[in-house]
Amino acid sequence: MSIFVTGVGVALPGADTAAALAAAVSPVGSVDPAAVLGKKGLRYKDRATQLGLVAGLRVLTDAGLWRDGVLNVDGNRVAVLVSSNLGNVDTACRVARTIADEGTRGLSPMDTPNASSNIIASEVAIRFGLHGPNLMVCNGPGSGLDALRWGAALLRSGRADQAVVIGVEPDNEIVRELVGGPVADGGAALVLERSEAAEARGATVHAEIGGHVRVAGPAAGYERLAAGEPAPLTGWFASGAAAEVLPAELPGHDLSAIWGELSGALGLVQAAAAIGGFAAGARGPVCLVAGSDDDDGSAALVLRPPAPAAPRPAAV
Amino acid sequence: MRLPITGIGAVASIGRDADEIFRNLCAGQGGLGPMRGFDHDLYTGTQLFEIDDRPEPGVDRTLRATGFLLDAVGQAARDAGLGDDLSDCPVLVGTGLRELRSAELWWRDGVSFGPERLHFGTALRERFGTPDTHTFSNACSASLYALALGADMLALGEADTVIVAGVDSITESMFGLADRVQPEPPGALRTLDVNRKGTILGDGAAAVVLRREDLPPSDGALWGMLRGVGMTCDAKHPTAPDQKYVAEAIRQAHAHAGTKPADVDLLMLHGTGTPLNDLVEASAYAEVFGPDAGVPVVTGIKPMTGHTSGSAGVLSLVTALQVMATGKVPPLIGLEQPIEEAAGLRLVRGQEAEHQVSLAQVHGFGFGGINAVAIVEAP
Repeated sequence: MSIFVTGVGVALPGADTAAALAAAVSPVGSVDPAAVLGKKGLRYKDRATQLGLVAGLRVLTDAGLWRDGVLNVDGNRVAVLVSSNLGNVDTACRVARTIADEGTRGLSPMDTPNASSNIIASEVAIRFGLHGPNLMVCNGPGSGLDALRWGAALLRSGRADQAVVIGVEPDNEIVRELVGGPVADGGAALVLERSEAAEARGATVHAEIGGHVRVAGPAAGYERLAAGEPAPLTGWFASGAAAEVLPAELPGHDLSAIWGELSGALGLVQAAAAIGGFAAGARGPVCLVAGSDDDDGSAALVLRPPAPAAPRPAAV
Repeated sequence: MRLPITGIGAVASIGRDADEIFRNLCAGQGGLGPMRGFDHDLYTGTQLFEIDDRPEPGVDRTLRATGFLLDAVGQAARDAGLGDDLSDCPVLVGTGLRELRSAELWWRDGVSFGPERLHFGTALRERFGTPDTHTFSNACSASLYALALGADMLALGEADTVIVAGVDSITESMFGLADRVQPEPPGALRTLDVNRKGTILGDGAAAVVLRREDLPPSDGALWGMLRGVGMTCDAKHPTAPDQKYVAEAIRQAHAHAGTKPADVDLLMLHGTGTPLNDLVEASAYAEVFGPDAGVPVVTGIKPMTGHTSGSAGVLSLVTALQVMATGKVPPLIGLEQPIEEAAGLRLVRGQEAEHQVSLAQVHGFGFGGINAVAIVEAP
């Protein structure tokens, strides 16, 4: 069973499409959720949730699932998976400090939903009416690629017909201090779909999901996927220490060097950038890698370019 | 689907292993007590269901949830005969609050803590050697969601054995925000009682070992078989539950399991003791079960364990397996006058009941309207 990528959404400072992401060399400005979503209903939503809603709107629109404010497939069959490690860390830390300073009388009840880490995934479901399995993946550096793996698994097991997979990370004083530097303050999203479902509704195919692994170390993961992939890998995406152990002779892309700490958004931003590359003419499968030898695990996933349109029978 | 469950493990306020917890549940011994790690002067409510492992009263430390998880996973792995090397065994962890309590202490007090320990993979890799771990932060249905994904992994042939766990330690942010809107904090957690005043949080962790059904029997125990798990999302309100999709999760669980409501002998309630949860849960159950609503015996663990958030679902599942093994059903303590919607149910009240159970249904519902229901069968 093939799993296709039928939607891509990008919400990064200065990049709001896969093409812009693939060509970007540095962040410009910041993502303005109110400009994309309208101000209504955003007031008490935390930054990560707002970024997730922007990526969600863009990916559902790109996939042709959301038109003029209406979902045009069965919402009961659409799964939502969101990857974010830092999402609500600011709320938890800020609330704990307020309690120490003022007691619970100093708290705003409007913070209550944001105290639960799955707020991004549930708000995406609410905004777009998505009743399928709803999963918040908070799994460290590999989290974004892990979310793609679980999205594909929910489709393979027949629990959903489409999976909306989003990775976002917010920037604020608290998470900057936690990770030791600026955070991307954005993310990206994909819609995954079984090939026959995509074909049945005439969806545009941006890419195909190949193999995935989660093992100890990026080199081992890359080698296993390279060995299992029918065509030779033509490039890779990896950041920091993980990039240092991958084949130097192939083109490599370190997106954290451009966007800052991507954390749980990394895998989705890598996938969106790779798809931007496919659209610009890149040929051959690429390997996305997240998590280094210093981390608890390294996730890797192959993304294949869409198959070229079937050639017409030659005239005889 | 009939996935063998070959190991169990748990820790909670009422016990440091699954046996001790079950003994206390059957004896009606709850774990509610004066809170040990938070400053009483800052809160209206001062009672929680905590695991007593802090260095001294009023002094908190980081990584308590991680410790609970390692204990529960270690127990389950030993019970299943897997030992301490789980390098080939994926571990799926459902949690509401991850290590956010440690992040709070880091930010407030300046204690050492890094982002690599917000999720549980780092500690699981150090202790058990597995790189294939997954932390799902799915509020109060997290561990049953993880159970569904673990079962799907086995069904898809992606692993031979999977450990599914749940864990939470109480965060000050979650407790504090609840405290803010409870001028009269509940003196007890009273599932399904007309006078229930709300939920009370607890610490806890639980784990089960699942195997593929087409493998030869393992060296471990055989506690039961997982038949199916249903998962839905209300997509309606960030905190209030919706009967329609709670009911749909129950229907989906039976569809996956190939069972019907009349087959169920035991219902393990989510039963948080909040006015809305218990009403919606009882109504959704009645909606799906109809004339069969009086067939199963009905109980829940939260009046004695507190609401252990992301770990609650698998902790209830472990309890259901122990009920099957012993024929003893723990009571819903503190239930004096059931709500009207629960009037026709076979509620276990006052003291433990004797009941042979061959099929159990386990509920877990969470913030964000995420619902999961598991069906488990006796060996």
